[in-house]
Amino acid sequence: MTQPNGGSVDLSRAHAHAADFVLSGVCQQYRPGVPSLVDIDLTIGCGEHLVIAGANGSGKSTLLKLLDGLVFPSAGTLTAFGAPLTEAALEDPVFRREFRSRVGFVFQEADVQLFCSNAFDELAFGPLQLGLPPDEVRERVAEVAHSLRIEKLLDRAPYTLSGGEKKRVAIGSVLTMRPHVLLMDEPTNALDPRSQVWFLEVLDEWKRNGDSVIISTHDLTVAEEIADRMIVLDEGHRVVAEGTPDEVLSQRELLLKVNLIHEHAHRHAGSGRTHTHPHAHM
Amino acid sequence: MTGEHDIAPARQARIRRPSLAHRTAWGIGRNIAEVLANEELAARQGFLQRIEPRVRLLAVLLFAVTASLLHSPWSLAAMLALAATLAAASQVRVRSFMRKVWGSAGIFVILLAAPAATRLVTPGRVLVSLGALSLTVPGVLGAVTLVLRVVAAAGIALLIVWTMRWNDLLSALSQLRLPDVIVATLAMAQKQIVSLMRTVEQIHLARESRTLSAGTTAENRDWVIGRMAFVVHKSVRTADEVYDAMLARGFDGTMRLLPRDRGRARDWFYLLAALTFCAAMMALDRGALR
Repeated sequence: MTQPNGGSVDLSRAHAHAADFVLSGVCQQYRPGVPSLVDIDLTIGCGEHLVIAGANGSGKSTLLKLLDGLVFPSAGTLTAFGAPLTEAALEDPVFRREFRSRVGFVFQEADVQLFCSNAFDELAFGPLQLGLPPDEVRERVAEVAHSLRIEKLLDRAPYTLSGGEKKRVAIGSVLTMRPHVLLMDEPTNALDPRSQVWFLEVLDEWKRNGDSVIISTHDLTVAEEIADRMIVLDEGHRVVAEGTPDEVLSQRELLLKVNLIHEHAHRHAGSGRTHTHPHAHM
Repeated sequence: MTGEHDIAPARQARIRRPSLAHRTAWGIGRNIAEVLANEELAARQGFLQRIEPRVRLLAVLLFAVTASLLHSPWSLAAMLALAATLAAASQVRVRSFMRKVWGSAGIFVILLAAPAATRLVTPGRVLVSLGALSLTVPGVLGAVTLVLRVVAAAGIALLIVWTMRWNDLLSALSQLRLPDVIVATLAMAQKQIVSLMRTVEQIHLARESRTLSAGTTAENRDWVIGRMAFVVHKSVRTADEVYDAMLARGFDGTMRLLPRDRGRARDWFYLLAALTFCAAMMALDRGALR
């Protein structure tokens, strides 16, 4: 496949690359003088489970959108599966199809993601846009609906679903594309405890398949549960920490500084969980 | 301690007609409830609900066109009776159906047609003597025909809304070769409208929960304008995000949908029966006019 910039790229050999994404000196700003990401250097390995942690407004969602080719760096370079990920590259239909079939994005608000008239069409939308034949699309929809236990929701309109059901359908709408990399923006937001457990089970299954997951969250429990590695963005939109969840979550001062924990939070030895006890000042 | 007698006059003084904002939010809440109730009604296993959406849409359109072409009040009354029968067979309560039809289209068209029944507009034999506003036979006949025609057509159209899920309607439109991009736009528009109505309702409830007095008209107006701007902004932002979500799932400007199933023989038989009924009504109507 030839890229618009003249280079030759074959995304079908993605697994031959050690890294899914490489970001070098990436900066991004929606408006001049208002940065949303500053000088990001990051390599995301194939099959890696990465958590991007940071307070609200730190640039987590923007970073995910960059990785999905929905926004582009104002400075620096970004490659996906060994090929430059640029606006021009995504203009090429072959590159776009390959890239979109490899990367799935679950948006923070399920309401944004669910735009079809019913859940069946939601699940079928992605594979259809990728040009898969109708029989294969129906097969994938049935398979994903069964695995996510949403068969009974398939003929329902999205606005008649509960928050947890919407999230399941939103995740299903991406899984039918069978992506190699799953990007998820604040996936546990608006999920009740039972749905959160269900979600962690889905991720566990995903992990066993050897595919990559990149999650943005400020829920440190999720990071502890699923991450191989985590990075922390501060309110200046820079990466200020990187390492295993244990390494990062043991840096209490840093977590306080980036507004990820409250000063009353602490970790329990053994379980390693960070949480906050309410108390009154006398 | 403040007793009940002290509070009552103050409370009474605050009771007044609900503000425009309050009534609008209440109306939006009612519309959301109606949309959800319609979904429930359309999911029932009634006669119309069991017919393939495309056939149902064609049949209902056929009935509506026939109703608009009939001239005899008896033929039109028969069409209205047919609508009521179809409603009953489709598990729609006939009383609610009739109340809705007459309460909306019926009253409106009666007001419009009333002047035509008088001697001032339609001269002829006087039926009820009211001076200059006497009702004439041809006037009343014309007005009744108009009212019945509108009510029959509106009743049949209402059956679409009540017995067909939005998904089915879109599916039917898609099968009738409406371009996929239009079908998808309609699907998104409906979803966005419901979503924005919910937002408006929640904004209003949030305000109500923090407000003790109704506020002045000017304050309410400012608040409504401010919230309208917020909703417009939110709708634009959501549209951008929805577009991003579509791009992320491979959308490239061409909407691709699954090919729909063809109707069963039984569905086409219903369409043929509807066609025969309408042709018979037209023939009888012409005969009645002679």
